[in-house]
Amino acid sequence: MLNLTINNQPIEVTEGTTVLNAARQAGIEIPTLCDHPHLTPFGGCRLCMVEIDGFRTLQSACTIPVTNNMVVRTDTDKVKTARKFVLTLIFSERNHFCPYCQVSGGDCDLQNAAYGEGMTNWPLPPNWQPYPVDASHPNFILEHNRCILCRRCIRACSELVGVNTLGVEERGAKTFVIADLNVPLGQSTCVSCGTCIQVCPTGALIDRKSAYLGHEKNLDIQKTICVGCSLGCGIQVVSRNGQVIRIEGDWDSSVNSGILCKTGRFAPLADDRERLTTPLVRNDGALQPVSWEEALAAVSAKVQPADQVAALVSTRQSAETLHLFKHLFVDGLKSSMVTSLEEGSATTLPSQFAASKGKAFEGTLKDVEQADSFMIFGADLVNQHEVAGFFARRLMQNGALLVVIDTGENPLNNLANCALTPKTGKELDLLTGLMAAISRLGQNKAGFTGDAIAVMNAAAEISGVSTDLLLEAGFKFASTARPVIIYDAAHVQNLDVFNALVRLAEISGAKLVNPKGGANSLAAAQYNLDKPFRLNGHKAAYVVLGDEIPSERLVKALEKVPFLVVQASHTSKLTAGADVVLPVTNWLEQDGHYLNAAGQLQKAEKSLSTSGTDVRTNEEALKGLAQQFNLAAAGDWKAELLQRPSPVEITVQAA
Amino acid sequence: MTKPKVASDWLAGCAGCHMSLLDIDERIVTLVQAADLRATPITDLKEPDETGVAVGILEGAVNNSANEEVAHRMRSRCSVLVALGDCAVFGGVPAMRNFFPLDEALRRAYIETESTDENGKIPDDPELATMTRARSLQEVVPVDIFVPGCPPSADAIFYVLNELAQGRKPVLKDEKLSWI
Repeated sequence: MLNLTINNQPIEVTEGTTVLNAARQAGIEIPTLCDHPHLTPFGGCRLCMVEIDGFRTLQSACTIPVTNNMVVRTDTDKVKTARKFVLTLIFSERNHFCPYCQVSGGDCDLQNAAYGEGMTNWPLPPNWQPYPVDASHPNFILEHNRCILCRRCIRACSELVGVNTLGVEERGAKTFVIADLNVPLGQSTCVSCGTCIQVCPTGALIDRKSAYLGHEKNLDIQKTICVGCSLGCGIQVVSRNGQVIRIEGDWDSSVNSGILCKTGRFAPLADDRERLTTPLVRNDGALQPVSWEEALAAVSAKVQPADQVAALVSTRQSAETLHLFKHLFVDGLKSSMVTSLEEGSATTLPSQFAASKGKAFEGTLKDVEQADSFMIFGADLVNQHEVAGFFARRLMQNGALLVVIDTGENPLNNLANCALTPKTGKELDLLTGLMAAISRLGQNKAGFTGDAIAVMNAAAEISGVSTDLLLEAGFKFASTARPVIIYDAAHVQNLDVFNALVRLAEISGAKLVNPKGGANSLAAAQYNLDKPFRLNGHKAAYVVLGDEIPSERLVKALEKVPFLVVQASHTSKLTAGADVVLPVTNWLEQDGHYLNAAGQLQKAEKSLSTSGTDVRTNEEALKGLAQQFNLAAAGDWKAELLQRPSPVEITVQAA
Repeated sequence: MTKPKVASDWLAGCAGCHMSLLDIDERIVTLVQAADLRATPITDLKEPDETGVAVGILEGAVNNSANEEVAHRMRSRCSVLVALGDCAVFGGVPAMRNFFPLDEALRRAYIETESTDENGKIPDDPELATMTRARSLQEVVPVDIFVPGCPPSADAIFYVLNELAQGRKPVLKDEKLSWI
């Protein structure tokens, strides 16, 4: 512990604490601009200058570590004059005219800092140099005129997301934030995660959807979780008058610590499908609006326990809804074809393996965050589960290695140290070859039986991946301390390949991580909603589609069903062909629990109100139907989550 | 003791700051009891007294020779000059024009606007004021008190004027200094 005084107040801090953080711990305010709690200190804006005894000049509090018996002053005239001078220089450098900026009036760190110092004007005239505006990106605009070169966006792009699209060119007053080698953002390597917008202290990065729609103090902000995929990232839903205007990453979330991907941040706002607002029943060939009671009666008239109804549910639904769905169709209507829209593609094999082992065997996203080498087996971490891809990318710039195994073109191939492309269907041979290579190199943490060289040669021959590549990949992957295999179960064709993957993990000492599928993929698997969907003379089908977009395959498969009920929030090809359509809430309008890929149970909060409309939550709709059948109440959804052995340790203690 | 005289005028602005001044509502009574409101855009007198006023208030940026004249006249006739609103303090919205050449701005305003017919032309009467770069008031004359905001809140304006009427120099800070 180190002792220091700030403004004569004695403070004790741990070694390595910066003066700025020491001041914050003691509740002493030091204004900052370039500093951000989730980014490394930079010392670029000079606003946090403080006076320290023994130093000839003022020092930036964000970068200077505390030493024992340091004497710091933050409120002297020298400091205050310096702050005003720094702000004057920043204001006059580019064109900071508050009246026409969307963040002016409380949301701008620069304006707040100036008002905080009691500045009513700045004595240096601005330089009136117009700077370009980069509006080439579909989601946001980079307005260089309002940029203060604090480099928060650049640090976020590199330290948090690991993408490194943003950087600077030139020096001094000519410094400019650029994308890649100075190309328009829309044509750059930007992955549209939007983290830069979230950290920008001024109005330089403008979110196209939410700019000018209101100051933060007038907006409704609800913390919840994203249901875009099974990672369960923490988000903040920013809305006004019941309309979502922006989604931000939740800095306090233990899953994603603030970062989000394009699916989490921008996709929900781009949804322009037409909403369903009233129950519809097909009458004389056309869907006619009816009341909920009539619609539910129409369903119960046609759907009977003896009829063999096929039932499908979206994995975007909460555990409560999934549980009720299972109770209604399996226990109540005695249907044999009850499954999720995902049909267990991301969970069946691992669940079977866990059942045979009787215990959890998978690692979690936390292992990904701490890994020093990655093997990606078929997983597409750019278009799905992208935040896990960001974790890998940011570790890779600190030296973590990446081996990609994919029969096709994997989007991370260009970043891989080793990209193995086996012939389709020959993944098993490749994995065997890799195990042989690892044991041949003496890097194996578990025994390998057989003649390694012969196995390797045979594997190379069949899979089409050379022995040199096998050895290189094997060495890179297995020689590290914390290797992680991220696999996509949908890419594992059969149990043999799966067993080989597990064996490879044992031999290389790696953790096996399955990012799974939809938001509640794991919960659906735990409720046994993971069968392949087959229609076999079913007279009726019930689809809890929710806000999911139905696949062409599903629409086609259900075309021939005599009686189709769809519970959905938006119109789609599926609802167009349905006999009864029940209008329900989307993910933001209902609450419930989600079991993420790491087995952590999280609660999604209701962020938007549906009062005044005729839509019901998915859970309410199913409850209404259960009443029609006079079904007894369902059991405990939480307890039933734990009944089946899970591939990953499940923590039901909701965070 | 005689009441201090106050005069105001507007330059290249939108009159919004004077509207905000009227937003002080019934407190204007307190103000006229404490001060003598002379030439303002909302009273009948058109020029500040030649004998001088205690407080001069100007709204708007300086963007032509006529504005310059008004600014100089006000400065020469008042003891304390107040720059009211972002245009007077920083240049504000009129200063957006500075990022374009003058002829381009004039062409856009008088010829290319959607509501202009084919007869639109840039006014060229020799009696018209000459356009200049849009400037903040302090670039033209010395300013004593700055009241930023677009517009400044009625509370801030009342506070400033009331302090001046009481013979004190107003200091805007904390909650009085916020931009809404």
